[in-house]
Amino acid sequence: MFGSHKNYKFVFVNHVTTNPFFTPTQYGAADASKLLGCSYQWTGSESSNVNQMVNALNSAVTGGADGIAISLIDLHAFNAPVEAAIKAGIPVVAYNADAPGNARLSYIGQDLKKAGEEMGERIVAAVGSGEVALFIATPGSANLQPRIEGAEKAIKDSGKPITVHSVATGAAVPAELSAIEAYYTGHKSVKGMYAVDGGSTESLAKVMQKFGLAGKVKAGGFDLTEATQKLLSEGQIEFTIDQQPYLQGFLPVLQLFMYKVSGTLTGLAETDTGLKFLSKESVQPYLKSKSRYEGTSTAAKVIS
Amino acid sequence: MASVAGGSTAQTPPVKAGESARARRPSVGRQLLERILSLREGSIIVVTIVTAIYFSANTSSFFTGDNFKTLLPYFAPFAILAAGEVFVMILGEIDLSIGALYLFAPILFYKLDASAGLGLVPSVIVALLVCAAVGAINGFFVAVVEINSFVTTLATLFAFEGLSLIVSHGTPVATPGAAQHTTTVNVTHVVNEHKITLPEQVHHISTFASVFGGGVYSELIWAVVIVIVLQIVLTFTRWGLYTVAIGSNKLGAGEAGVSVKAIMIRNYVLCALTAALVGIFEAVRAATVQPDPAGANEILFLAVAAGVIGGTLLTGGSGTVVGALIGALFLGVLKDGLILQGVNANYLLFYTGLAIIVAMTVNVYVQRRRRGHGG
Repeated sequence: MFGSHKNYKFVFVNHVTTNPFFTPTQYGAADASKLLGCSYQWTGSESSNVNQMVNALNSAVTGGADGIAISLIDLHAFNAPVEAAIKAGIPVVAYNADAPGNARLSYIGQDLKKAGEEMGERIVAAVGSGEVALFIATPGSANLQPRIEGAEKAIKDSGKPITVHSVATGAAVPAELSAIEAYYTGHKSVKGMYAVDGGSTESLAKVMQKFGLAGKVKAGGFDLTEATQKLLSEGQIEFTIDQQPYLQGFLPVLQLFMYKVSGTLTGLAETDTGLKFLSKESVQPYLKSKSRYEGTSTAAKVIS
Repeated sequence: MASVAGGSTAQTPPVKAGESARARRPSVGRQLLERILSLREGSIIVVTIVTAIYFSANTSSFFTGDNFKTLLPYFAPFAILAAGEVFVMILGEIDLSIGALYLFAPILFYKLDASAGLGLVPSVIVALLVCAAVGAINGFFVAVVEINSFVTTLATLFAFEGLSLIVSHGTPVATPGAAQHTTTVNVTHVVNEHKITLPEQVHHISTFASVFGGGVYSELIWAVVIVIVLQIVLTFTRWGLYTVAIGSNKLGAGEAGVSVKAIMIRNYVLCALTAALVGIFEAVRAATVQPDPAGANEILFLAVAAGVIGGTLLTGGSGTVVGALIGALFLGVLKDGLILQGVNANYLLFYTGLAIIVAMTVNVYVQRRRRGHGG
């Protein structure tokens, strides 16, 4: 269909290579590679260490990768290396997290600020007035900070008498649980509690369940861990926002492939993978199925 | 011949009879190999060369000038960290707090420069001094209060990772002095025999950045200089001899008149300094100061691993700084090579684990043989 092409090798540089959030992303990259007759590599840092990510990016350039997809979790660290890769003739796209001013050719992921703003609007509609907590795992991370800023902006713009507390919870679920629990214990009058990352959302839902807060305190968050799916279906939180991690692996391969076979004529497109609000009802299909799309099964199959 | 002082250790395992008799066949290659292997660092040098040959044979891009530059940051920072750690490990102690100081030093550097307006180089110096003081605190609690070093430095690891988060408000910032400047210059190309002059963007980094980790060879040069200096200190100075003496027999060293506590504190200060220096280098190289402790903890493990793989005993009494450099090089070659080969992240950890076991087994085997020869 595209004429004969070599077996392109695309390298994904990730900030938390072993984090289960990105399991569907890896399946997406694997499936697209299989579909198109390419191969992919999943590498980077296990622990958001940007130096290690830069090293891996440089190795990909040295190793003659045909294209690179990278999560731009830092505003400064990747600007020079990405530019150098592009100068060396290797197309680079960003996925999952984006950095303004970076030379990457396109971004495939959630429009993070917009997602935060829409969450903020929901918060305004649900709470109206009073105290609201926003939980964030690691403030300043380029894949989380825009969400919390968007939410704060939407709340401020609404002009409603809502007091926002931003609370850092830490990067591991056990620590997040205790941080959220501690916040609630100290702020029993809180009207709404919301989280802007997957770990904090899961922890928030667990705290809601523990104290029996459903109906008393409004709550919602981001991403779809298995625990979050289950607790959402029980109504512990009102919503979660899916950013379709599978597509964040599938589409970068597709775009890089098109860019290569078309001799740079086409392929690149800024792609917003998600602002999918899931509720108690709409989360049901996720619970019932096990799939590569959610990283819950390794088997490729048609879901009906 | 051991390349460092203190080749003898109390932990010498029994030598198997017949092992040394097998190796007596005269051949130039064999003699050379035995000569290399008779060095304390010999076995890991051989393992590293074999690993590099393997990747050169299997990956066309491994043995290239470009990859040489790519490889540098995979090992140079760890070589510096391990060089400091070796001085603590020879004492028979450990310093886990290097992870925290690696994290804390650049944050402090940022605060001193950006908030206090101290200027780049003075900020680096003050940040290093503060971290040296933390090293002295570690040394004090280990040597004077006599709390186990694992516990003491675990405490400072947590405390200073916490302090890093507090001071930075958990937010990454741009490293002062590390920003890239872009200038436009006219470059003349010859295309189809026509000369075309086009403006091209050229990037520069400041002299400060190119010295403190940002330059391509900066970390390598620092690593080589630091390793050579510290190896000389270890082999030829009283400080080095006393360090080995304390690690072999603390009580005996004390009775022989070695000021055990002062030496121990000094080594912890040295170790803290190397960690702080690497923290600043890496922050300058990436142009960002990250407060996330997860990344720093991984660095800590790799640095200790580099020291041990290089031939320094965790039990103390014996060690080599050059070996730590080679150990770091081995880990760097392994990681870069595996990534070049296209190995995925989950497999990378698995292979790294396997390779460390193989390397250490070769190490132990060769060291036994070496002692069998009376080396």
